[in-house]
Amino acid sequence: MLKVENLQKNFGNIMAVDGISFEVRKGEVFGLLGPNGAGKSTTISVLSTLLPPSDGVVLFEGKNIFEEPKAIQSKLGVVPQDIALYPTLSGYENLSFWGNLYGLTGRELKKRIEEVCEIIGLSERIKDRVDKYSGGMKRRLNIGAALLHMPELLIMDEPTVGIDPQSRNHILDTVLELNRQGMTIIYTSHYMEEVEYLCSRICIMDQGKIIAAGSKDELVEMISGKTEIALLLESMDQEIVKTVGSIKGIDSMVHQENQILIRCENADMILADIIASITASGNHLRSVDVKKPNLEAVFLHLTGKALRD
Amino acid sequence: MKIRSIIRKDLKTLLSDKKALIIILLMPIILMVILGFALKGIFIESWEGSKVNIAIVKQYVAESDLKGFNDALQNSLLAQGMGADTASELSDASDEVDPENILFNEFLGSTEVSDIIVYRIESEKNAKELLNRGEISAIVVLPEKYLYNMKINLLTPFRNEVEIKVLTNPDATMDGQIVNAIMQAYSDSMSSAIIGKNVLIEAAMANNMGNDSFKGMEAVMTGIMAALEAVRVEVDDVALEGRKPIMSSDYYAAAMLAMFILFAAGQGGRMLLEEKESFTWQRMMVAGTSKLGILAGKFLVIFIIALLQILIMTIFSQLVLKVEWGDFSSIAGIGIAAAFAVAGLGTVLAAVTYRMGNFKIANIFETGIIQIMALLGGSFVPIDILPNAFQKLSVLSLNGIALKAYQKTMMGYGLEAVVGYIAVLAGIGAAFTLLAVIILMRKEGTDHVKHYQAARIKA
Ligand SMILES: Nc1ncnc2c1ncn2[C@@H]1O[C@H](COP(=O)(O)OP(=O)(O)OP(=O)(O)O)[C@@H](O)[C@H]1O
Ligand SMILES: [Mg+2]
Repeated sequence: MLKVENLQKNFGNIMAVDGISFEVRKGEVFGLLGPNGAGKSTTISVLSTLLPPSDGVVLFEGKNIFEEPKAIQSKLGVVPQDIALYPTLSGYENLSFWGNLYGLTGRELKKRIEEVCEIIGLSERIKDRVDKYSGGMKRRLNIGAALLHMPELLIMDEPTVGIDPQSRNHILDTVLELNRQGMTIIYTSHYMEEVEYLCSRICIMDQGKIIAAGSKDELVEMISGKTEIALLLESMDQEIVKTVGSIKGIDSMVHQENQILIRCENADMILADIIASITASGNHLRSVDVKKPNLEAVFLHLTGKALRD
Repeated sequence: MKIRSIIRKDLKTLLSDKKALIIILLMPIILMVILGFALKGIFIESWEGSKVNIAIVKQYVAESDLKGFNDALQNSLLAQGMGADTASELSDASDEVDPENILFNEFLGSTEVSDIIVYRIESEKNAKELLNRGEISAIVVLPEKYLYNMKINLLTPFRNEVEIKVLTNPDATMDGQIVNAIMQAYSDSMSSAIIGKNVLIEAAMANNMGNDSFKGMEAVMTGIMAALEAVRVEVDDVALEGRKPIMSSDYYAAAMLAMFILFAAGQGGRMLLEEKESFTWQRMMVAGTSKLGILAGKFLVIFIIALLQILIMTIFSQLVLKVEWGDFSSIAGIGIAAAFAVAGLGTVLAAVTYRMGNFKIANIFETGIIQIMALLGGSFVPIDILPNAFQKLSVLSLNGIALKAYQKTMMGYGLEAVVGYIAVLAGIGAAFTLLAVIILMRKEGTDHVKHYQAARIKA
């Protein structure tokens, strides 16, 4: 449906997007994951014809979107990262304005507004002024405004930033429901849980580049077997570091204060040995935590830094 | 379609903004009332105290005109078969009918006219110097053979054209208009007297009363006197009309209207950047709205707001302050043209503000430029009492042009007298609009800085 080839966008010296390529297939939820400043929003601005690219091609259903912007515009819904609404107008007036811009009028518009209110769960407060809404309600209306014309492709740029867990869950479920009804979705976030939960395929971006891409399982596979064990001890001494370090099967180990972090292929195999050697040394274990690999770990593995500070 | 929704949305936004409503509607109405009453005293004095000074230039030579007339009378009347005694009678009457006396004493010397106009007789050269120095407001030029032709007109069946010219000082438009109107009334009445007299003579001739009619020169004299009475009556009207704008309530109604529509431009000047900062601009672009479409929407919004202001202020001042605005089609024309000019100005502000990425220009416009324009355009005090240099600058103010036009309609002039102003306002509007389009469509340079800042703040 959407094909991005070698896309580049620079602002002066800043390479915001540095030659990325990916493809979004019809009917999927495509995730774009990356830390602040990775270039996600810039990519989206280019995809939604707001910014011209510095280089590269974007094809929507085979048509170059910079040569034929109309081809994508009418089929595209964009939920911007920033709330793009008129605060002094009511939710209803906002929706009806954005509906108008997509050519909806009269009874059809009214019907669509009702449906959209249902989807975003705002039916009761829709006649209130937007500046009287809570943050979560504004976010939901921000999404609603992109749904009126029933876009085939919906691009959502961090739609859950800065809102309460309840609104967030509502939004995530909305995304899944829209997808179930056949909408293709590009979902941007720096919350890996969200992307893990929603997306069938994921691109991980950092500093303008795609550093990994694939299904969630494929990505996890990249660091497959790499399990992390976190041990919290009663006290720490050189002796114990040495003993634990000598156990076979440990790939790497770091320690800090009372904590030891271990990386290994298979936790089940060595966990017993570790516990035994600690007990033998007369020390006490306060807790043991075995972390399965996730996207956070993938990101850490690939870049050596956490997804969020 | 899209433009219509943009307009509807912007109007809703603006009309729900109480602060904006206070500035664009409530303030001017309050000021109209306050200034109209408070400045009444100063205002009327400043007008009544100063009479209009004019110079009269005689391009004719009295003696040769008189001699010429007497010769012509003898020759032509005799040639037409008028009895010698009638001719001499007419010649006697001729001494009584003195056009100079009629103009200088009967007309300009009458109490009605001399209340308004003070005249002096000057050579052409001196008069022009006085006019340039602003010491007089107008020159009335009596053409060559004025005396001769007037005598022919008043005393014989013939009709010779006489053209009295009025040169006015463009800095003293009010005064110039008064002089023009008064001289117009004079010549209108003179020609109706002349036509009346000719009808009298022709009727007499047709009834075969022939020469006898000339015996009753008294009848002719009575006609002339009646005509002069008529002139006086008309001068009364003219004087009233000409002095109507000195009513402070009228003046300030127009002045506040012309000034406060500028705030519609100020409001509109913020609109594009506001859209961009609230990211609705981007959303509109994503929906496939063109920049030009958005700009056109803003233009029309400002236009409509200004029109609404004009409508409400006109109606309010007419009903409550008893302001008489004048001829409907003229004030409609001025209103539409002024709103158009304001819309153009507002769109330029909007485009510049958008480009600069901050509201400085719009703020400077509202807190400084409008005040300067108001002063130069005569919205605070009538420019006629300001120094000359200021008066010259008044052409720079959009409100000044509108105000001048409204003064004309208030004085009772028709559409012809204000089409010039309407055209200027429309031209300003068109030029500004074009400029706005050029500014907005110029290739993007610094356009993304805002987004960059927003991204940084969040990070
Ligand atoms: N208009 C602009 N002018 C200059 N630099 C910009 C502009 N927009 C973005 N950038 C820069 O480009 C880089 C990518 O920014 P972008 O907003 O695309 O990141 P992001 O992945 O969306 O981050 P976030 O998670 O914070 O939203 C950043 O370094 C940013 O500072
Ligand atoms: Mg972003």
